Amino acid sequence: MARRKVKPKLDVDSRAEVGYADDEPSAFASMLGGLIEANIRTRPEKARDFESLVARVGIFVTDIHEGVTLDFKGGNLVVHNGLKPRRTLTIRTDAETVMSLSNLKIGPFGLPVYYDAVGRGVATKLLRGKLKIDGLLPNVMTLNTVTRIFSVQ
Amino acid sequence: MAVKAFSNEWAKEFKDEVNRSSVYKTAAKGWKWTVGLVVEAEPDKHFPEAKGIVMDLFDGEARDVTVGPASEAQKCDFVITAPYSRWKEVATKQLDATRGMLQGKLKLKGDLPTIVRYTKASQEMTECTTRVPVEWPDEK
Repeated sequence: MARRKVKPKLDVDSRAEVGYADDEPSAFASMLGGLIEANIRTRPEKARDFESLVARVGIFVTDIHEGVTLDFKGGNLVVHNGLKPRRTLTIRTDAETVMSLSNLKIGPFGLPVYYDAVGRGVATKLLRGKLKIDGLLPNVMTLNTVTRIFSVQ
Repeated sequence: MAVKAFSNEWAKEFKDEVNRSSVYKTAAKGWKWTVGLVVEAEPDKHFPEAKGIVMDLFDGEARDVTVGPASEAQKCDFVITAPYSRWKEVATKQLDATRGMLQGKLKLKGDLPTIVRYTKASQEMTECTTRVPVEWPDEK
């Protein structure tokens, strides 16, 4: 079984931790883990979302054929290389759209903004099937929380 | 006319190309950090010594682009490192820089949320490199 590496505790919330399930996290896993860690360390509102989120989220980048599983455990995150079983949500799209997802602005009521240029681009990809989200309908709130944690805006 | 890869002439052409780009000017509004590109040596490709490209970028403008030792580029706020042949793939559109970073083919050091926020600017900057005609040392 893969050994779990846990990084030092974070500044904003002493309980928050981002760790990696694999001895050698992939570049994609390190990047997503690092991005989320930086977000929750510097943005208290994202740290609060991170504290509350319990979900297993898969992200598969179709044009590089690489995936990760983000296992949020209410204040802890374990990042796995590849897609692991029992995922709440799975996002499948290309690298450019992954970057767009992390650039979605967050609007009133903590909802992602889909009416500006970035948001319209993401919505168009969803409608055209270039962004697929398995498990979306029963987990819209979870997706919104993940988007808030993931967004750099 | 083609310029030697990662030479002073290349740096000037690249800087001019960036400053001609209205897309970059808009997308990089608010950017205020230096970027270093480390081109690792590949002697078998006739690129015997590592080079560093230091880019002084500010608010949508390339104020200066210089070529020097890798150690200078490593002092920048953001550092992207890859071997010569990877950079050649980027500059010849064989490798998308975003994909390259997600795959670890281009190694990035620096504040991730900031670089992600400026994805469009970095994509356009990559486009600028593809518009500079280059003489590659391994194609002589």
